[in-house]
Amino acid sequence: MKVIPFPGGGSASPDEAAWLAELEAALNGDGDGAIAGSWRQLRQDVRALAPPMDLEFERQLRAQIAEQATHSAPKQPHRRSGWLRPPGRLGSAAGIAAIGAVIAAVVIAGPWRAGTGPIEALPHQPAASSNAGRAESFDHLGVSAPKGPFRAAKNATAQGSASASAGAASNAPASAPAAGGVGSAPGRVQQLAASITLAATPSDVQETADRVSRLAVSDGGFVQGSHVQVQQAGTSEANLMLSVPSAKLSGALASLGQLAPVRAESQSLQDITNTYDAARQRLSDATAERQALLHALSRATTEGQIDSLHERISQNRGAIAQARSALQTVSQHASTAEVEVTVLGDAHTGSEGLTLHRGLHDAGRVLVVTLVILLIAAAILAPLALLIFALLTARRAWLRYQRERMLDAR
Amino acid sequence: MATICDEPWTLNVVRVMSRPVSSSDEHAQRAIAQAWPDALDAEAFETLFRECGSDVHAYAISLLGDRAAAEDVMALAFERLYRSRARLDHRRGSPRAWLFAIARNAALDELRRRRRQPRHELEDELAADRDRGEALEDVERRATVRDALAALPLREREVVLLKFHGQLSNSELARALGISESNAGTRLHRALARLREGCLQAERQEEIA
Repeated sequence: MKVIPFPGGGSASPDEAAWLAELEAALNGDGDGAIAGSWRQLRQDVRALAPPMDLEFERQLRAQIAEQATHSAPKQPHRRSGWLRPPGRLGSAAGIAAIGAVIAAVVIAGPWRAGTGPIEALPHQPAASSNAGRAESFDHLGVSAPKGPFRAAKNATAQGSASASAGAASNAPASAPAAGGVGSAPGRVQQLAASITLAATPSDVQETADRVSRLAVSDGGFVQGSHVQVQQAGTSEANLMLSVPSAKLSGALASLGQLAPVRAESQSLQDITNTYDAARQRLSDATAERQALLHALSRATTEGQIDSLHERISQNRGAIAQARSALQTVSQHASTAEVEVTVLGDAHTGSEGLTLHRGLHDAGRVLVVTLVILLIAAAILAPLALLIFALLTARRAWLRYQRERMLDAR
Repeated sequence: MATICDEPWTLNVVRVMSRPVSSSDEHAQRAIAQAWPDALDAEAFETLFRECGSDVHAYAISLLGDRAAAEDVMALAFERLYRSRARLDHRRGSPRAWLFAIARNAALDELRRRRRQPRHELEDELAADRDRGEALEDVERRATVRDALAALPLREREVVLLKFHGQLSNSELARALGISESNAGTRLHRALARLREGCLQAERQEEIA
């Protein structure tokens, strides 16, 4: 008999477990008898079928292993410190993704961004719509020489003849948009306004307000009004209403933003072309009436006519002055922009006077910001990780399927 | 032909290193990874090579039937094993089982990649056995076993090869195959039964002849 009759045969029997245990014991050298011997013989035969390793190949492989043994003897990677190991390709990619997500989260949630961040609601955030009708309620403003594109119109109106004034004023709207800061449209007369809220420490509120005033003056504007309230405990606050040339509004806002951290900023624009045109038309009409009265006066022959015309001319003079004033006011509104500045001195913003309460508050704020950043990072990373996990799982399953299919194909 | 890479530790047989190292055996690595009590340092690795190297080679060449491919697979298996040595877990299998799982995947990948039928160099090697002066009965018995083994479907042949070359327990065999232990037992039972059948059939035919 050439083949040792090792046991087995047929489909899986109910005694398969026992059969496997017997095989296992035999191969481990625990079993005795002919059957166990036949199993061992079979294993020996199967192992003997394989040709030995190429000596040159074995020598090279062994040499490299020995070389490695001498190079990296002290290296003791443990699972406990596995996270200290240099990351693999996947780890590097995950690290880069995590860093990118954190950076994105920081950019999104960064507390330094104006109007964002975990800062309490702002007391003043005037919307553009809230400025409706502002053009008609500026009578309380101080009169100053209008600057910007309307200066020529105003000066001409004040000094020259009525017709020259009207002509100059009629040219003004065309150049007015150059002064517009936000969404100015060609050929329109527009009034700009802005609001900005700055954050400062309570002790810095007064100083910041002074700097705001100086900035307004240096930009060619002035302070229409201000109110500064400094409290020993609680929130200090300063409110300033500035008037700056429309052409310098953007620059002024940028300069204000450098004085202190900006909590909120808004700009608004209102079209006052109709108001301007109406004022200009009234002035033109009054001037024309004056011309007509003077002409009639030159033709008057009786004392009665002359007295009557003098009286009407006197009345007309008042009307002209009034129309001119109205036009000047409108021009001024267009050439200057109102900037409402609020300086908030939050008691917890400052770094002076470190107390336990303030320290805890700051720590809490840092934690909140950190949590927000982590939350946003997680929101970015979680889908990414799920996607990568799904891809890896699919790839693994595909590889496994390919291997199994290859086994079946042969 | 092998060359030495600058990297101190890379099992860089040129045939292996000339192609990118795939992580296709991640499943097996993960299955048995975290498998070692402590780290597998280079010294332990050398010991493992000494104990298992020839078996891995025998398994690979028996499965692939190609010496060059078997050497590729062997080098690749040891390289992958070394690279992932930090993830060993003693509770999930022996280093030997892990090594054979990696070798199995590498061998299947090799077959899949090259789309090459196993070449049977074993015949020549068997002829060499005769030259070594072994008993004729042993030579003929092995020839019978070899023919029966070659007649097995690849799926069943690899189970037998893993079992005998790898000397794996049933649980380790199951882990290497990525199936349950009962399934592995069934597959092993079926493969050995068919092998026995093939041997008996060959014996009968020879007796008739």
